[in-house]
Amino acid sequence: MMNRRAGFFMLILTALTPVHAATPVFEIEIRDHLFLPAEFTVPAGKKIKLIVYNRDPTPEEFESYELNREKVIMGSSKAVIFIGPLKPGAYPFFGEFNPKTAQGKVIAE
Amino acid sequence: MLLSSVIIVLREVLEAALLFSLLMVLSRRLGISCRWVVAALFIGLLSAAIYGFNIDLISEWFDGVGQEVVNALLQGTIYLLLSALAAIAVRYRRGFAVPESLIMMLMFASVTLAIVREGSEIMIYMSGFMQVTDLLLPVMAGSAIGAGIGVSVGAVFYFALLNLGRRTAAITGAVLLILVAAGMASQAAQQLIQADWLPSQYPAWDSSWLLEEQSVTGQLFYALVGYEATPTPLQVFIHIMAIALLVGIVVIVNRQRGGVGARDA
Repeated sequence: MMNRRAGFFMLILTALTPVHAATPVFEIEIRDHLFLPAEFTVPAGKKIKLIVYNRDPTPEEFESYELNREKVIMGSSKAVIFIGPLKPGAYPFFGEFNPKTAQGKVIAE
Repeated sequence: MLLSSVIIVLREVLEAALLFSLLMVLSRRLGISCRWVVAALFIGLLSAAIYGFNIDLISEWFDGVGQEVVNALLQGTIYLLLSALAAIAVRYRRGFAVPESLIMMLMFASVTLAIVREGSEIMIYMSGFMQVTDLLLPVMAGSAIGAGIGVSVGAVFYFALLNLGRRTAAITGAVLLILVAAGMASQAAQQLIQADWLPSQYPAWDSSWLLEEQSVTGQLFYALVGYEATPTPLQVFIHIMAIALLVGIVVIVNRQRGGVGARDA
């Protein structure tokens, strides 16, 4: 019984422990329904603050199944999206409103 | 363009349509008027438009994470409303005196909020094509097809549930209501993690080898129970707690004595 309770508290503790580190900021743009740069490298194991500037007049939705992220970015505005911590690897993302052209990739290393 | 419109609109419509169908079945089973349906559609779409057209402003709240916070608030509230609904529906079914209007109000509110959350994204998407005359037609057509498929899936779900036997239907309905509600809580947690209001972590697992989120089944499970292939431990914890709390509520309420006997359902 005691063990189970201890395990339960451990679970809560693990769940509430944030990943401590100064948050690096990365900025990318959307222009003509393309991500610029379409590929960028971030440090693995760290939470990243990603700022996406949408330079198009039309809205876009930043979406990534691998990063587990989804966010609408209106035309001529910006969005802040926190991603990671990521294990080393490639994480594709795309613009859901223009998926044919708006494709990109985060490389964590 | 047409195909991506179909997919975008379908994804959004599906989530709201499944909740809509589930609550309509519950309404029918409990013998409660479905009058709330029209009101929820109307007020939901109106509020979705207001939210969608102000998303610029809302996004800037809380240092750029206003969108996540509002979405988490919407989905967290849907969870609470559905929890209250589950408790009250069980009491009602067991013959306790519960005002029908209260049940209708809870159904109305949760479906309205779901339409606001999903409908706003569709409106934002379509607003981007209002000035692009050569794309407007395919986008409109695609959106109509997507919405049509979403509503059809909802209808199939509705009739399938409605045709189950009495006992099976009560159990299936309760289980689905709990899973849908907990999925909302989990998505609210995900939004707060994305906003950095809740701590970020490595994913607890990666089940995409088993069920890819972007597959049709994956999307259906996402819409129904909030399936995600790479949830973080905190999100899993909140998801499980949300289920446990609701199961607890339903079990406790179901054990209470004093009702006038089971109402026909």
